[in-house]
Amino acid sequence: MTSNLNRAAWYAFASLAVAFMLSPLVILVLFCFSESALLSFPITGLTFYWFETLFARAQFWGALENSLIVTGTVGIVSTVVGTMAAMGLARMRLRVSSLVMAVLTVPIMVPPLMLGIVFLSYFATWWEIRLGLHSVILAHLVFTQPFVILIVNARMAGFDFAALDSAQDLGASKLHAFFTITLPIIRPSILGAALIAMALSLDDFLVTFFTIGGGNTLPIFMWGMLRKGVDPSINIVAVTLMVLSVGVSLIGLRVTRYRG
Amino acid sequence: MRLAPNLRSLLLAPSSIIFVVLFLLPVGYFFVLSFWRVRAYQLRPDLTFDQYITVVTDYAQSIAYTFGIAFAIAVVTTTIAFAYAYFCRFKAGRFGLVFLFVAIVTLFGGYLTKIYMWKTILGSGGILNSAFMILELIDTPITAFLFSPIAVIITLTHYTLPLAVLPIYGSLRGITDTPLQAARDLGASQTRVFFNIVLPQTRIGLITSFSLTFLFAAGDYVTPLLVGGPHTSMIGLFIQSQFGHRLNVPLGSAMSFSVVVCCLLVITVVALLINRVTRPR
Repeated sequence: MTSNLNRAAWYAFASLAVAFMLSPLVILVLFCFSESALLSFPITGLTFYWFETLFARAQFWGALENSLIVTGTVGIVSTVVGTMAAMGLARMRLRVSSLVMAVLTVPIMVPPLMLGIVFLSYFATWWEIRLGLHSVILAHLVFTQPFVILIVNARMAGFDFAALDSAQDLGASKLHAFFTITLPIIRPSILGAALIAMALSLDDFLVTFFTIGGGNTLPIFMWGMLRKGVDPSINIVAVTLMVLSVGVSLIGLRVTRYRG
Repeated sequence: MRLAPNLRSLLLAPSSIIFVVLFLLPVGYFFVLSFWRVRAYQLRPDLTFDQYITVVTDYAQSIAYTFGIAFAIAVVTTTIAFAYAYFCRFKAGRFGLVFLFVAIVTLFGGYLTKIYMWKTILGSGGILNSAFMILELIDTPITAFLFSPIAVIITLTHYTLPLAVLPIYGSLRGITDTPLQAARDLGASQTRVFFNIVLPQTRIGLITSFSLTFLFAAGDYVTPLLVGGPHTSMIGLFIQSQFGHRLNVPLGSAMSFSVVVCCLLVITVVALLINRVTRPR
């Protein structure tokens, strides 16, 4: 009896927590189709009107294009660089490699607002370079690379180096051995790491805000709409961002077989 | 297999370059800026502690207020996250991974999107109020939801909760069933098993979750700006404005470093506290 009650209480708590986590996202999707310009219940009618108005704006497509450029570049560069680092770390003594990892992953702990203003001062005041997508990309590398290193390094922890050694004993070059043995084995982790890095880059607002100068990415475009006031198309921008980042990260977690 | 040291450093070179050139140098430069001053809208190299004095005299109150809110958020979030992760690991059986999956999905729901949603949910003409009115729970909209510290706490708790669940779940997953069963077989009560075996092993997870949440909440400015209202004067707002219309980079830098140092102090104290509480007794 008590155990049943206990169980019910646990499930009630968990359901509440799930409702708390999911409901804003569900409501958001719902209101994309709401006829009224006001975001309140009851929803009087359904329409695709807000999609039409948004898709007619060149700014939206420009922001989407910029987002894809930044996310794609950041994804590729941080994956290559992070994977290389993880390969190097895998062959170090554990104590040394943990120390190097701890240092390289410090940027994750810095609040994004601070990262943003740090980059702004560095690029604009020290180097006096013009801000734009290139500075956004450079800035994103800093906080995406640690995640790639962490994920790929975790995979290398259980890696069997014997096959690699025998390949080299039989005359394969290090590069050849990497591409024919290591890469196929750890490919899911690398792909997963790339997608997580892309999800982080795509969703980033704070760092982008300070490093982009004039242009738009999707979050910056959304910010502009937020500041201007009521325009229900903003729901669709938000959902686009959500679907892209959730989709990308889900595929990422799936291929890395993430289990906590 | 050991690689020649030069190949090892070659592999580590690109990320080290990114770390040094795009993180270490910028942060170092930013720190140096906090000792400069602004004259006639121009940055002038200097070695003054004026900015830090201003932080103490003008912004200490705001920092304390911010830390109060951030602390509340971190405590609430870490507690819920612990209960949720505990449920996923020990109580939900084969549904555990499904519940964990929900947390992971919402982790990437979009930062601005979530703040924006809470703004529309909590607003006086918003979703929560209109739903309450339909259900006839209330007659007039409750305006206190939005533009208050409560709104900031709700929004940031929602944002950081999935982030806090994962490290705790990670440490709970490391607890195998064998010692738990052994303890039960030897007659330990459920409470004793929890305090002597489970809790001590979640120490790292709890500290990680608390630190992540606290740092994020203390450093945020978009949430107080959009849902906090004029009286929720969190320090992030003041820092941001030094790079906007007030244009005082040295002061902004001094504020940032003061906040980070204070954050580290709080986190150290809390980590020691968690260590004490989770010690097997």
